[in-house]
Amino acid sequence: MANKSVWSDNRFWQRSAAWITGFAAVLLIWLTFDTMGQISMGNDADFKNGVTKRVPGPTVINYKITYEMSTKRGHEVPIIGGNDGQGMSLFQEKEKFFGRDDWSEEEAGALLHLGKLGSQTKNCMNCHTLLGNGAYYAPDLTKAWLDPAWGPEGSMQAMTGKDTKEEAMAEFLMHPSTYPTHARMMPDLGITADEAKGLVAFLKHMSSIDTNGFPRNFGKIQGAVHGK
Amino acid sequence: MIEEVVMRQDIPLDDFLPIFVSSALVMVFGGFYVGIFTAVKVNLLKKWAMPIAYIFWMLTAYCLYLMGSLMMVGDFTAKALVVAGIGLLLLPHAVYYMQHQVHEENEH
Amino acid sequence: MASNHLTGIGSESRQLATWYFTFAAIIFGAQLLFGLVSAIQYVMPGFLFEILDFSVARMLHINALIVWMVFAMFGSVYWLLPDETGIETVGIKIGKLLYWVFVAAIVVVILVYLFIQVGPADEMSIWFIHEGREYIEAPRWADFGIVVVALGFVANLFLTGIKGNRSGIVTVLMADMIAFAGLYLCGMFFTDNISMDQYWWWWVIHLWVEATWEVFVGSLAAYGLIQMIGASRKVVEMWLWIEVAMLFGSGILGIGHHYFWIGTPEYWWEIGALFSALEPLPLVAMFIHVMYDWGKQQGKQAASGSEESVVNNKPAFVWFWMNAFGNFLGAGIWGFFHTLPQVNLYTHGTQFTSAHGHLAFFGAYATILIGMMYLAIQGTNGIKVLKNTKASIWAVSLLVGGMMGMTIALTIAGYVQVLVSRAQMGATWAAYFDGQSGMWFAQAMDWRLLMGGVMFIGFLLLIKDLVTTGKNPVHLR
Repeated sequence: MANKSVWSDNRFWQRSAAWITGFAAVLLIWLTFDTMGQISMGNDADFKNGVTKRVPGPTVINYKITYEMSTKRGHEVPIIGGNDGQGMSLFQEKEKFFGRDDWSEEEAGALLHLGKLGSQTKNCMNCHTLLGNGAYYAPDLTKAWLDPAWGPEGSMQAMTGKDTKEEAMAEFLMHPSTYPTHARMMPDLGITADEAKGLVAFLKHMSSIDTNGFPRNFGKIQGAVHGK
Repeated sequence: MIEEVVMRQDIPLDDFLPIFVSSALVMVFGGFYVGIFTAVKVNLLKKWAMPIAYIFWMLTAYCLYLMGSLMMVGDFTAKALVVAGIGLLLLPHAVYYMQHQVHEENEH
Repeated sequence: MASNHLTGIGSESRQLATWYFTFAAIIFGAQLLFGLVSAIQYVMPGFLFEILDFSVARMLHINALIVWMVFAMFGSVYWLLPDETGIETVGIKIGKLLYWVFVAAIVVVILVYLFIQVGPADEMSIWFIHEGREYIEAPRWADFGIVVVALGFVANLFLTGIKGNRSGIVTVLMADMIAFAGLYLCGMFFTDNISMDQYWWWWVIHLWVEATWEVFVGSLAAYGLIQMIGASRKVVEMWLWIEVAMLFGSGILGIGHHYFWIGTPEYWWEIGALFSALEPLPLVAMFIHVMYDWGKQQGKQAASGSEESVVNNKPAFVWFWMNAFGNFLGAGIWGFFHTLPQVNLYTHGTQFTSAHGHLAFFGAYATILIGMMYLAIQGTNGIKVLKNTKASIWAVSLLVGGMMGMTIALTIAGYVQVLVSRAQMGATWAAYFDGQSGMWFAQAMDWRLLMGGVMFIGFLLLIKDLVTTGKNPVHLR
């Protein structure tokens, strides 16, 4: 017992464990504060002032959104309202959403709120992935708004017989089993017309979130993203 | 500390399988290294098996290198991998040393 | 777990533990059943379509997983508290009452999931049906119920730890369980911002399964080694502190590997990569530790001229071994090979994650909790040496073999998805379905279903073994 080494001292390890845990926790909390600032949702003024936010405000539904390679960052980024040629958004080019491109901050916010509620109460995440998290039984929805299948030449839009992407998506969400695409079908979840509108707004908003280039090469084969 | 660009290049299709296999082997070989080392120390295996343990560590290090280069990791991640590799080398020594100390102090 | 030979100090606490274990075993069975339903739906998409859809079956599958593990964890604590503190658990009457509250709440939640399934897009559905957030779908009212029950449990643990002899294991558990309960609060709010939503959601999921639950497992392993092979408490407890340091040191910031693609800043790439690379080290260390202690104790026994094994509960010891091994395999290997951002860009949200999730939950948690059930069965029936039986050997072989088979099948499916849906076609709707319809993917799903069936048979044998232990004459009393 004479030479009691610090390495075999219970108290030493107890204190080490406490210090290491405390240090890691403090670091995580500090990083959380920084991240909270960076991922808090933007607002309409950001678009007017040309401020790019990682999570833009709900009125992003008034703008045209694309997903383009940024040479500076080395991966694709969402571009809102046109590209300045260097991979930054111009916030100019608008796009009608259910016939309007002048959704006010309150209206767009209410629509997004309804859509986010719907995404949870309809249990999207237990078949689909959102931002890559969820179940793997159905396609990822992160950039679903930009999917070529829903575009003007896409098979899904053609199938629903609608003229615009948002109407086609809403129609499908309301009557999924009327439009079977594969043996694996989406069930009827009792989604109303309003809820469908909200859900499509939610999907459009999600596609404008800066996900550090996930998913990679989205729509590469069809050339949909670059081909617009 | 932030790398300018982590993911500028696509991983070629043919590289995916070697990446998955080598990263699995990192852990498998690492496990063998640690397992054989411990088994020798507690006399479940004879002393001559010890060099085999170190050969497994070298294989681990090689797989780690292979995996890192195929993934085209940046400088920072490469350093993190080296730290993890050395950590694995030292870990069983440290554990054995400490366990031994405690047993000595409590049983003699 | 019917026959009860519990007497003396701590018998109340141990009795409550057996209640917790019994309900855990039932829900474990439910988890496997709903897992089978989901697996069948991958193979035959029309199965129970618009009756019990995949979303509902899977929600039940993963919620049952969390519930049975939490029940078995609470049970484990109530079981080991009298051994560790030397006194009866303080406030055990309230503990028993809360058990029934907990069970009743779970039953109501399951019935609502099964028969109501979805609601309109409003706050009422969030409060009374489910929250639709993977793993923590429980409706808001149940969240509050869970918090009350968890606080009661933590109070039992703290009051007993303070009043009795507070061992190192109890100290670790006290710190760990308060964090475990507190983290649940991070998952109890609603926000329109999906990035913010997932940021805090991971605080619950990650900091549970890759930090607090792992430390919990470390504590159980420490307790089990002392109980089963008579390992020295001094060594085991010192080791436990080292494990806590390593697990929390790598695990807390390892949360970064969930923040690569959800809208969070790029610096999480580096933080996630660094700490994820370190995360397997404690798992390797836990493995060495079990091997080291067992080797030492068995060596001592051999030196004293005895051929006898030092293990007094064979099935539990097998399950504890499976835990050391499974933790390394499921969380270690299957976690490590898709954790770096460079490759995770392609594997994120594919069946790779599913393969890792299955093996890690089973290897790291199911195994040791089943081991604890065997320890409880031994104690409840007053058995000195609990031996392996045919059923226990078959149970462990089929459960572990089935899980390995399932994991390998899912890994192959994930590989197909990475190549076809991700690397080649860029994750669109069409890319997704091209990946799913490939022959390798389809066959992997067949094998996964088959292996799920194998696991279910293993589960039935496990239950048979646990139920018949009390009357089985092979065990030494």
